[in-house]
Amino acid sequence: MSLLHLQVALSGALAGGLFALMAMGLSLTWGMLRVINLAHFAMILLGAYLSYELVATLRVDPLLTVIVTVPLMFVIGAAVQWLFQASRISEFNSLLVSFGIMIVAIQLVTNQWTADFRQLPAELNPYPRQSVALGGLALPTHHLIGFGVATAVALVGYFALDRTFVGRALRAFAQDREIAAAFGIDHGRLAMLLSGVAGATAALAGMLWSVGHALTPSAAFEWIGIVFAVVIIGGIGNVVGTLVAGALVVALYSLVSLIWSPSVAPLVVFSLIVVTLIVRPQGLFGRRGS
Amino acid sequence: MARRGLALILLVGLLLALLPWLRDAFPFPTFYLAFMATLFFWVAQSTSWNLLSGFSGYFSFGQGAFFGVGAYTTAVLTSRHGWDFFASLPVAGIIAVLVALAIGAVAFRLRSLRGEIFALLTLAVPFIIAPLVRVIPQIDGGQGVRVPVPRDYTELAGGFPEFIFLASLAIAVFAVGVAYVAQHSRFGWALFAIRDGENVAEGLGVPTFRYKIGAISLTGFIAGLAGSVFAVNVGFLSPESVFNLTVPLFVIVMSVLGGRNHWLGPALGALVMVTMRERLAAGGLEGYSLIIMGLVLSALVLLAPEGLLARLRIRPRLSAAVFAAVLLALAAYGAWGAPLDWLAAGMAAAALAAFLPVPPRVLLREQARLTADDIVPDDAGGATGPAIATDELIPVVAPRAARELGEVVIECVDVTRSFGGVRALQGVSLSIREGELLGLVGPNGSGKTTLVNLIAGTFPPTGGEIRLAGVNTRGLPAHRIAHLGVARTYQIPRPFESMTVRDNVAVAIMFGREPRSLPGARSAAQAHLELVGLDHLAAARPAEINLHERQLLEMARALATKPRVLLLDEALAGLNPAEIENAVGVVRRIHGSGVTIVLVEHILRVVNQLASRVIVLNQGLCLAEGEPQAVMHDPAVISAYLGKHADA
Repeated sequence: MSLLHLQVALSGALAGGLFALMAMGLSLTWGMLRVINLAHFAMILLGAYLSYELVATLRVDPLLTVIVTVPLMFVIGAAVQWLFQASRISEFNSLLVSFGIMIVAIQLVTNQWTADFRQLPAELNPYPRQSVALGGLALPTHHLIGFGVATAVALVGYFALDRTFVGRALRAFAQDREIAAAFGIDHGRLAMLLSGVAGATAALAGMLWSVGHALTPSAAFEWIGIVFAVVIIGGIGNVVGTLVAGALVVALYSLVSLIWSPSVAPLVVFSLIVVTLIVRPQGLFGRRGS
Repeated sequence: MARRGLALILLVGLLLALLPWLRDAFPFPTFYLAFMATLFFWVAQSTSWNLLSGFSGYFSFGQGAFFGVGAYTTAVLTSRHGWDFFASLPVAGIIAVLVALAIGAVAFRLRSLRGEIFALLTLAVPFIIAPLVRVIPQIDGGQGVRVPVPRDYTELAGGFPEFIFLASLAIAVFAVGVAYVAQHSRFGWALFAIRDGENVAEGLGVPTFRYKIGAISLTGFIAGLAGSVFAVNVGFLSPESVFNLTVPLFVIVMSVLGGRNHWLGPALGALVMVTMRERLAAGGLEGYSLIIMGLVLSALVLLAPEGLLARLRIRPRLSAAVFAAVLLALAAYGAWGAPLDWLAAGMAAAALAAFLPVPPRVLLREQARLTADDIVPDDAGGATGPAIATDELIPVVAPRAARELGEVVIECVDVTRSFGGVRALQGVSLSIREGELLGLVGPNGSGKTTLVNLIAGTFPPTGGEIRLAGVNTRGLPAHRIAHLGVARTYQIPRPFESMTVRDNVAVAIMFGREPRSLPGARSAAQAHLELVGLDHLAAARPAEINLHERQLLEMARALATKPRVLLLDEALAGLNPAEIENAVGVVRRIHGSGVTIVLVEHILRVVNQLASRVIVLNQGLCLAEGEPQAVMHDPAVISAYLGKHADA
């Protein structure tokens, strides 16, 4: 393995932090609330465009835009969960309804900002051109930031679910709704809180995407494949597993692209999902039976 | 009946095919031909999608893959290899079938596959194929592919729009015809049973894997054909133009709008959506058509998941009146829009009228009427079949004296089963003889239900051997075990919720050991319903009957497969004393008709009344065996049930 391979694998793993961040909200709401929220992708996209708009109009550092976008997406995320709860929707139907919401949101974004590529003004966004040197390897700064944010979210999420009352109540609910309800847990509010937090992570992911990439509405569709691979491989509802899976999947994706061809990389990732589903349906890092 | 419907579909197709030649007599703009060709394309696509996703319930987001592969096949064969268009058409269908088979062979083999995972897997497929198509120079290579116009045929048809119109029409008629035949045959009913309860269907003898593969192949074939015509129509393909989410989105919206339970639903949905979309585009509002599609999808799933067709059947007159009123009013006014606008407005108004909330009283009345409609043709079909239930009690299998036991039908040799670290069965050996009524008792968690699941083939034993009439069942799928003569009921009844009580039983007959066609099975179902005393509820839906009746339905459905052995898994749980008495009578009658019965039960009084022999399981082991009275007085049994100190 040459230095180039190592460089590509390491950058890939770091870039995977962003995909893990995208996947975490989805994985948590799927695992804990039994809804598959495709609207999450629309929230990431909207977050990215809002960050772009704020930077372009207010001329601020892109990292600061989360002050506005995170609370906003928290509210939208909670609202989507409210809709699911009010309609007592099944797990499968949540997939369909949120697919509809995703299509609407993406088309609204297209109508507002057009399908042309949009890029943050270079003078306000120094991060893509910076990197940290590490013994002959260059680690792009924006990937480091993304990985750092993803790690922080994963750790906070893990401890919140494991140690706090809210987290334990949510896990109790994920295991058995009726018993948990019999113990007097008000699931509706907790679920909206969790869904709101998932929305907040979508805002973070959107901001990070806008820092590293040119924006176009169809990007949302391109995320779906990799993000669901990360969710399934990491284990549904498992935040730390999602982080590791994100790093693994994107590192693999980058290596396959380098060694073989970028066009077969989706096939490799897809095969990985299928193998995971056959061998370990609970995900690489899930506990059996959970 | 089925033939008449198919003939009607073909007749409508033929009449539509005359349209291009009517233009000499009644000139109309070419635009209408193009519009209808688009409509037929979507009718074919959505009907094809519905065969798999509507009928079997496996929602696919991968329609773009089949459609795109079909389009690229024709594009590459005609442009680069000089093939004739009609030669490339079946190849396009077949290559799409190969893609479908690949998806099905992988996805349907996954034991842990749930509908959500299948949907997500198919969501990824077009995005995997697209980059491959883009880089392979023999297919696309990144430049796109120009598709030549098949000049001979367009001249024959009278022009390019006419040719596309006729080709699209032919494929749409084919698709609708296939869906119609499916709904009126074993194929469709197998898919309905899979949608309502896949494991239950498999246990009743439906080879579910084979039918799912059949459904996804048909979906792929029709989508590939329609893709082939699409390629000629647009004349230029790029990976982005076919492997995208637009096609799956549209077919899902159309089918959900029209109704997924019916062969005509997707076509109806296509008619409404294509007309609306065309009018939006004509009005310069193309950017809003996706927004409307998304909103329609979300709203329908939340508010009216059964779809437009079901609503129209409940309110045919109101919808027709609203449609006619809006259409005529706009035509009379005349100052707004074109005729197609009036049509679109009329359809939108009629759809809204159909979706208005229906008062419960009307709903019940109309459902009763529709169910009655469903039954009429079957009675006609039944008249030619064998006469049914002339006697009070027709034995399902030749009777046999109660105490005279036949050969061994089930033999378990040292059967074990572990779940993770839990050893549910730790070596159970027993044999059951033909004609027996065996009671299987034991405290909670003793492994009774696990043993039932192992014998019925729901999952394989970890160790040991189970033989049915001498055949080792290891590795056999559950439907093969059902065909060897084992049927079971579920502790919590799991009827096919979308079918009537009669059809629940009829499906079991259609796929049982003496299979019959749908009309024959429907009339034969009556005898089984009479045996358990449910004949008066034949037209009801499972949701409308009580627990006791649902448990009796479980028994009737299991009997309909003509089993040698019936496994009753706590079929009397949760009943009141009067219901228990009734159920005991039913079990006696079933046994009297010659079926061997394994009665898994908690209520010892019932076991004492019925069983000729009792086996007690405790902690995954056989604890005692023998005559009911003797076993109940066994100290080991008493201590297992009541605790260690009870006998002290």
